[in-house]
Amino acid sequence: MTDLGLYRHLDQMAPWNDRLQVLEVIGVSDEAPDVKTFTFRSDNQTWFRYKPGQFVTLELPAPDGPLMRTYTLSSSPSRPFSIAVTVKAQAGSIGTRWMFDHLKPGSHVKAYGPSGDFSLHSHPAAKYLFISAGSGVTPMMSMLRWLNDCAPWTDVGFVNCARRAEEIIFRKELELLGGHMPGLSLGFMIEERSSREGWYGHMGRIDAIRLPLLAPDFREREIFCCGPDPFMRAVRGMLDASGFDMTKYHQESFAAPAVEEIPAPFAAPAQDGVAVPVEAATPIRFALSDVDAECVAGQTVLQTARSSGVRIPAACEFGLCGTCKVKKVSGAVEMSHNGGILDHEIDDGFILACCSKPLSALEIEA
Amino acid sequence: MDARNDMLRLLNSRRDGFSLEQPFYTDPDYFKLDMELIWYRDWLFIGHDCELPKPGSFITVQIGDYPVVLVRDQQGKINAFHNSCRHRGSRVCNTDKGTAAKLVCPYHQWTYELDGRLLFARQMADGFDKSQFSLKPVACESVAGYIFICLAKEPADFAPMRAMIEPYLKPHRLGEAKVAFESTIVEKGNWKLVWENNRECYHCAGNHPELCKTFPEAPTVTGVQGADSDPEMLAHWAKCEAAGLPSKFRIDPAGQYRATRARLLRDAVSYTMTGKRAVKKNLSDSVSADRIGTLMHYHYPTTWNHILIDHAVTFRVLPISATETAVTTKWLVHKDAVEGVDYDLAELTHVWTETNDQDRRIVEENALGILSPAYEPGPYSELHEGGVIQFVDWYARFIGPRLAEGGRPALRSVA
Repeated sequence: MTDLGLYRHLDQMAPWNDRLQVLEVIGVSDEAPDVKTFTFRSDNQTWFRYKPGQFVTLELPAPDGPLMRTYTLSSSPSRPFSIAVTVKAQAGSIGTRWMFDHLKPGSHVKAYGPSGDFSLHSHPAAKYLFISAGSGVTPMMSMLRWLNDCAPWTDVGFVNCARRAEEIIFRKELELLGGHMPGLSLGFMIEERSSREGWYGHMGRIDAIRLPLLAPDFREREIFCCGPDPFMRAVRGMLDASGFDMTKYHQESFAAPAVEEIPAPFAAPAQDGVAVPVEAATPIRFALSDVDAECVAGQTVLQTARSSGVRIPAACEFGLCGTCKVKKVSGAVEMSHNGGILDHEIDDGFILACCSKPLSALEIEA
Repeated sequence: MDARNDMLRLLNSRRDGFSLEQPFYTDPDYFKLDMELIWYRDWLFIGHDCELPKPGSFITVQIGDYPVVLVRDQQGKINAFHNSCRHRGSRVCNTDKGTAAKLVCPYHQWTYELDGRLLFARQMADGFDKSQFSLKPVACESVAGYIFICLAKEPADFAPMRAMIEPYLKPHRLGEAKVAFESTIVEKGNWKLVWENNRECYHCAGNHPELCKTFPEAPTVTGVQGADSDPEMLAHWAKCEAAGLPSKFRIDPAGQYRATRARLLRDAVSYTMTGKRAVKKNLSDSVSADRIGTLMHYHYPTTWNHILIDHAVTFRVLPISATETAVTTKWLVHKDAVEGVDYDLAELTHVWTETNDQDRRIVEENALGILSPAYEPGPYSELHEGGVIQFVDWYARFIGPRLAEGGRPALRSVA
């Protein structure tokens, strides 16, 4: 059933007003594992006036009372008739999980916004670098889509970091835009291989060595960064340490950085009813404390120490200040530091707990 | 009584060729003026480039009230900073020396790059501008392996000192040597007494049996006059200059630094009990001439030095109080010389360890005697103590005008 009201021109419509209209879901699509895009239009024939990179706050009518959830728009205002958010359901998330379970085409949601200052429209520049991790890609996608529609010759570096190849959100669309936009250079980095997709690109975590490989002239670019807090801290730290003019650095954070949650060992997600085996946790022994702990995939030595009640002093938590330097008695780690430890200290068996992940069972002097 | 005017009055009325009045050696207020007007203003020798072998290597030093840290940065440049965190002032580096990836204040982990920039300050308010809180720099110059700093807001031009001293030192390659041993002793005497004792060898015969086995006591060697009419000195300079080693006695017009090369006794080549080498390997790969003796250079107020064929002994003077002075001695050898193979540490350090201890006792006795209410300035020997007269003149010439410019109008004009 086609709504004749759809076929209007922009000048025949008023802009969307969050006090007058609610949103109506017109599409739900899968982007990546646990990532969906929800597309909305107004329930009353309006267009959306916003800057690429801005966010909306959705009021989700959960059974225990409404949940307010803020999401960056992944859509572009160059296509003003609808807006979209692309969201990842993290382990333990409530709001996003509710959206996954309940929002279908035709559902209505009250929303506030769009608003925010994280946009290339607020910081015009000759060259950009969009650097993101995980679902932090959404404001970058909004801005890139806008550039593709309105200024496709723009010189923009686009770097996205993900845990695994199949978790890179918008990968296909980005590759497509790479062919349309002569000034777009794409860089991806993943942390671990997977059995689902081959990979021949960068691996590891972004650090002061890898950043210039992904974006050699990053110093000349206006930089936009979005991702989990530790990621943004690391990027910020390495830019700052490299002498980057920090007035050209912008990051998206909805609030003061929250205390980082220590991820609990997660249960295996069921897929198609088949349980996937839990990834083997790596044993870490903290010798001085006489504590044996388990490091689940993705955790750092510092996070494992915290979740097992072992206190290792730490300050910056992005591998710069060296406060969390501990002696590794045995085992191997992968460490992506930002200059907070010297080569001879590494040779002597020291690691920075905040940015080291076990590659084998470890014994740590802590 | 205003110490500044008092001091100026005593300087203006002092007898040439006589030692200074008692308060110059004992009075804490005079000591404060020495610090303020000499030590916080002039270039000071701190240590050697080779003590900072790689990026992140640091050494710390205390100059009166100023804690200072010297660190080699990622580019290999040696920087000096006030060793005081821009947060609440805590000392950032609290060990004598070490190696650090970054300079991290132990108090709240403020993290500085090796070039002094503040990189990270945990959880400061929004709008906190890190760029405003770099470690404060201290002027720092390195010449032929010697690092000098200057705490003054407007340091004197270092170029003339570099131009004069570099040719003498360069062949000896101290920048790439290694410190085989260092010792610091505290002498209970004013820093000027330490220097006065160093500037003459009138006392050597009766006090330094070990040194006197190899070191000539002639005032033309230690002093500042007469060397160019001493045929032995002239012959030695000619021989060494022919071997490519600048050797002639040179002194800067203001008398603050001097360099000259002197023979050792008979066929001695090193400061050992036998006069034979202490180190099998030459100190420098570019100096192999026979019997080059010792290159002596001093720079007031911090350093005197002996550079030989097989090793170098460098000295650093730092005042602690009106009546205490730290003297640090470093024995430098070729970086590839192996202890126990190329040299015996006890043999290498014996002569100057004994000599330093003898000098310490001399200085302390001198200081105790000066405390007597009966003390009055006494005459220096013009024959033997020209070097001391020159040191005291330098001191008066440097501190006098600075006293006059900074204080209330002096009671008398400078003579």
